[in-house]
Amino acid sequence: MSIVQVKNLKKNYGQTEVLKDISVEINEKEVVCVIGPSGSGKSTFLRCLNRLEEITSGTILVNGHEMTDKNSDINKFRQDVGMVFQQFNLFPHMTVLHNVSLAPIKLKGKSKSEAETLAMNLLEKVGLKDKANSYPSQLSGGQQQRVAIARALAMEPKIMLFDEPTSALDPEMVGDVLNVMKELANEGMTMVIVTHEMGFARDVCDRVIFMDGGYIVEQGAPEDVFTNPEHDRTRSFLSKVLKG
Amino acid sequence: MEAAINALPYLFQGLMTTLYIFIIAIIIGFIIGLVVALLRLTPIKPLQWIAKLYVDIIRGTPLLVQIFFIYFGLNSLTFISLDNTTAGIITIAINAGAYLSENIRAGIQSIDKGQTEASRSLGFSGIQTMRFIILPQALRRMLPTFTNQAIITLKDTSLLSIIGIADLTQRGEVQASATFQSFAIWTTVGIIYFVVIYLLTLLSNFLERRFELR
Ligand SMILES: Nc1ncnc2c1ncn2[C@@H]1O[C@H](COP(=O)(O)OP(=O)(O)O)[C@@H](O)[C@H]1O
Ligand SMILES: [Mg+2]
Repeated sequence: MSIVQVKNLKKNYGQTEVLKDISVEINEKEVVCVIGPSGSGKSTFLRCLNRLEEITSGTILVNGHEMTDKNSDINKFRQDVGMVFQQFNLFPHMTVLHNVSLAPIKLKGKSKSEAETLAMNLLEKVGLKDKANSYPSQLSGGQQQRVAIARALAMEPKIMLFDEPTSALDPEMVGDVLNVMKELANEGMTMVIVTHEMGFARDVCDRVIFMDGGYIVEQGAPEDVFTNPEHDRTRSFLSKVLKG
Repeated sequence: MEAAINALPYLFQGLMTTLYIFIIAIIIGFIIGLVVALLRLTPIKPLQWIAKLYVDIIRGTPLLVQIFFIYFGLNSLTFISLDNTTAGIITIAINAGAYLSENIRAGIQSIDKGQTEASRSLGFSGIQTMRFIILPQALRRMLPTFTNQAIITLKDTSLLSIIGIADLTQRGEVQASATFQSFAIWTTVGIIYFVVIYLLTLLSNFLERRFELR
């Protein structure tokens, strides 16, 4: 069962074509990693999936909803699509608990106590129950990112999008965040992850998509793409990142 | 000296009028400022234009002319009749609102785009995002500029003495001419303004610490 269907997606910024012709399906419970050189369109692709970017042409179905339909309630559709950003983007004027419980209270009509119980469970899951009453600025980057994951999960999304969730972190923080994501993957969450963590992509993802120049150049099981890439561009990209 | 002490009760009544006008005008001015800032940030062009025109007119004309325009100009129209206090409050509010709208707009625009994106990705609408995420941060951030404007506005109210409002300044004039002790009276009036503005600054510093973005 595919939960995401992208057909002939094109995205221009003015004259520049950033996504040239993307068609891809993602199945329920699948964990897909998107890799590729910087500027290849990975973030743009991800942001089109929840319409943070308006697309130029094509269709995007998520959970059977046409995301780009101007007449439908995009805010409703977005509730099913969680997103985690490179820069965390926690709300600095709210405690950690409030960050996580806000959306369920305001958007799902949950009572405060109900939402806070949910939030505490999620914070426990990401290992930050004791930080519930802290403010984001009192946390390390890795802790903030785990709160951001909990915040997205609080809306009980059907699919989670991650845009380089560990790229802004000090190396010693990366493991904690990846472990939380790994656990999510094991629980059967559908995930699309833009990442430079090749080890993680190899171990956790069901499928790797390699993007370059606004196209999906190649995709497949990680063992195939990593050990036996079909395209020269994939090969040269991998040789660069795996060496480092 | 004695003249000043004798004048104190009378001057304090004037101070009460000054504070009364100031508080009402700054509250209305803040609401105007908020609405105008939001209008300038809507995607609807005519609303942006109207808001910008308002700000430009207020910034491009002297406050005294605005006071005369509203009190004498508007009042000369048959269907409008404003007493001087009402006219004064309206003028001061409209004036402060224009400047505050620029401050609020700058505050809103200074909030990182990632905040909006995180909020929208959770499913909040644009309006909810403004209300729960952007405005609370923007208003905290603009507290120092808000204090600045409040101080300017408080001082601006002294111009209202010209249309006969019995504020601190006007009562100072009355006392100075009645007692012939101009030096003592105007020194006293100056000190009263200074103390009030100093207290306002202390209050704002306290609030700033209280609501500091952690
Ligand atoms: N808002 C924008 N306006 C213009 N060009 C953009 C914008 N955002 C991204 N781009 C361009 O689109 C291309 C793809 O960007 P992006 O999706 O961020 O790539 P990646 O995430 O793979 O590094 C880049 O060349 C980038 O410069
Ligand atoms: Mg990117």
